[in-house]
Amino acid sequence: MPGIFDALPGIEVPVGSIGLGLEQMWDGVASSGKPSPEGDKSKATQVNFVLHLGLLTDAEDAARQFDVAVRFSRRYPCRVVVLCPLKDEGTPLEMRAKVYGECTLGKSKDDTRCCEFVMLSYSRSARAFLENEVSICISPDLPIYYWAHRFSRAANLAEYTYLLTNARRVIFDSASTPDDAEGYPWPRPENVRDLAYARLLPVRQAIGQFLGRYPAAALGVGLRSIELRHGAGVAPEARVLFKWVRGRLADCGASGQAERVLQPSDLPPRSFELAFAYVDGRSFVWKADLDTSHAQFDADFGNGRTVMTATASLLSQEDALSEAMFF
Amino acid sequence: MADNDRHPFLQGLSKHRGAPPTVVVIFGASGDLTARKLIPAIYNLAYDNLLPADFHLVGYGRKPIPDDDFRAIASKAIKEFSRRELDGEIWGRVAARTSYVSGGYDERAGFDRLAAHIFDIEKRVGSEVQSLFYISTPPSVFEPIITNLGASGLGGRYLGKNHHSKVIIEKPFGTDLETARLLNGTLRSVFEESQVYRIDHYLGKETVQDLLVQRFANAIFEPLWNRNYIDCVQITVAEDLGVGTRAGYYEQSGCLRDMIQNHTTQLLALTAMEPPGSFEAEALRDEKVKVLKAIEPIGLGPEPDFARAQYAAGMTGGKAAPGYLQEQGIAADSSTETYAAIRLSINNWRWQGVPFYLRSGKRLARRVSEIAVQFKRPPGTIFPQKEGFNLAANTLSFQIQPDEGLNMVLNAKVPGLETRTQPVKMSFRYSTTFGSNTPEAYERLVLDAMVGDGTLFIRGDEAETSWGLYTPVLKFWKSEGRKGMGEYAAGSWGPKCADALLAAHGHAWRQP
Repeated sequence: MPGIFDALPGIEVPVGSIGLGLEQMWDGVASSGKPSPEGDKSKATQVNFVLHLGLLTDAEDAARQFDVAVRFSRRYPCRVVVLCPLKDEGTPLEMRAKVYGECTLGKSKDDTRCCEFVMLSYSRSARAFLENEVSICISPDLPIYYWAHRFSRAANLAEYTYLLTNARRVIFDSASTPDDAEGYPWPRPENVRDLAYARLLPVRQAIGQFLGRYPAAALGVGLRSIELRHGAGVAPEARVLFKWVRGRLADCGASGQAERVLQPSDLPPRSFELAFAYVDGRSFVWKADLDTSHAQFDADFGNGRTVMTATASLLSQEDALSEAMFF
Repeated sequence: MADNDRHPFLQGLSKHRGAPPTVVVIFGASGDLTARKLIPAIYNLAYDNLLPADFHLVGYGRKPIPDDDFRAIASKAIKEFSRRELDGEIWGRVAARTSYVSGGYDERAGFDRLAAHIFDIEKRVGSEVQSLFYISTPPSVFEPIITNLGASGLGGRYLGKNHHSKVIIEKPFGTDLETARLLNGTLRSVFEESQVYRIDHYLGKETVQDLLVQRFANAIFEPLWNRNYIDCVQITVAEDLGVGTRAGYYEQSGCLRDMIQNHTTQLLALTAMEPPGSFEAEALRDEKVKVLKAIEPIGLGPEPDFARAQYAAGMTGGKAAPGYLQEQGIAADSSTETYAAIRLSINNWRWQGVPFYLRSGKRLARRVSEIAVQFKRPPGTIFPQKEGFNLAANTLSFQIQPDEGLNMVLNAKVPGLETRTQPVKMSFRYSTTFGSNTPEAYERLVLDAMVGDGTLFIRGDEAETSWGLYTPVLKFWKSEGRKGMGEYAAGSWGPKCADALLAAHGHAWRQP
């Protein structure tokens, strides 16, 4: 079965001459008439972005995440280093490299942005040398952002201390990691961000703006129950959303309420229904279907019923990446 | 506002994602600025999901326009002027809450209709709604609009709360010190200063905001940012177009009022001000006012601190261009300047002895706005000029438009056996690094006003201080008529009298 390294595009180069490989790649691109960097002017690397594909990543998933990284780098030109572990535990000490580059033409010649990718395939026994190799692949002096995709065990963290401690942000996606990932012993937990939380930005904004108009006490005091029903396709997001809602309500003074997260089979796969019930009849319901982008608020906090339609969406994965990395 | 002070459900969201339910009312809804800038700005904010969920847009103008027609006009404006293609679904959501109220600007009944319309929106929303009034009209109707906003009760809604009524007002904020004071007086009779957002779209440009970041977030610049290391500062706002169809306005205005008093002086204030105590609106604006107040009065003669001129026939873009006096709608004996250059001295500890040269003009060689900070030359003992070393002055230039970015001129050795030097340029370009699809200035500024952030707006005392600086020059020019008016060929970099202004101090204009 081909490894994830082979599933990714690029030109294979000797690990010892990645820099030269990148130069030759751009020369080749330029001579074929395709857009290429004009000296260093267009290779305006501003961040180092390390995408670490976990052992549970298959070839199809690797290609999908690679595309996300490409789309991200079109907006934020960066040096991307993709780490591809080999699955076979018995492979000898081995590391292979590939380079890939892409330029995006903007409105004018001066608006050409180019990004560079270095893919490193490594065997289990080469792990001890991986961080040295990464350190010479990245662009020095610029911040590192580390996306640990599909990592599976807390025990593995100790093997990547360099990246975990030097990265300005460490990113994971609770949709594709164990449920307790957030609680792992991250060396710098304050720098860890969950992509599922970032994807929920438009939802948090919509609910926040709607509820932000009511006094906090009106939301927190007398709360009897919180219930979140969700479709099967948004279970990780529902988990994160519920945690956020519960925390916000606690800050509004809520305590001791009943809480339920349900995944009924009759709900559309990418939908939510969030409901608050109060001891005195106040109520709040937000229903959203991400496939139709349609949402509805229905609230009564004692001053009459308010019904409002709104949009509902999640951030795209590349937008979620920039949200998690920069904000 | 600190995050902890915010509503729990808004904590963790950037302030720009926490706008309250808002109705934006545009006065001058059928005007050029509305079509070119405001409607596209609102559309792009919707595109980026930055408008509040309860957002309503109301056009107000003299011309009766049915709601559907106003929506169609707005849709056409987006197609023509937006930085992004029109997305029917996104615009559809805004359009569904877009309406139009017709009425005169001096007609109280019209404002009562507007108030009833806003109350109706508020009833439908089911909670208090912030009103943001955008005055995008000729200055002649500023006063009746402001007065009627007060009389109708719209101006004072929800005072004391964050979502109190706000008013955005477009320049000119007066035509001299006296009229600026009058306008401020009118505004203050209805609004508190915290409700007023005087817009200078230059302040919404990314590069202008970046100037503050470059200055105060980089330790290498601030120690050099003073009279010990800086030789002079040149601020250029050059246009390549002529007066075009704006002859009527321009004849009354001229370059000093149109560009120098506002845009160029704002750039100077940001370049020269002391570090503010925080990035809060008042701290920043206090420092801007302080530095403007430290500028010495502009010398009127016998060796004045200014040059003014009109463009003569010349050539731009490979084609013959008429002179200003030959343009349609311009009086043959017009004494309106199309070019102005000013030498300013800032009398404070930091800038004593460092000239700030400001220039702006129409029909110049190219459209460019930049701030160039020219450093003093190093002692030339190692690389003497007589031995062929021609060292350029280190210059740090912030290019504001087009090709937004930052350039630094350094001296480097030319490769070879002989030691020869050559100036080289180190560049940072916004478009290459971040892409050119960055928000337009109006998007940022409209959203800032919506969330109550006045940092990038001009305070009343700031406008008055600036007018106080230039009003004596305007009066002097008026008394002189055409006497002393220079001339420059269309498509050139300006008149000789402007060159002389710098030459007197051993400087020369850059050609950015």
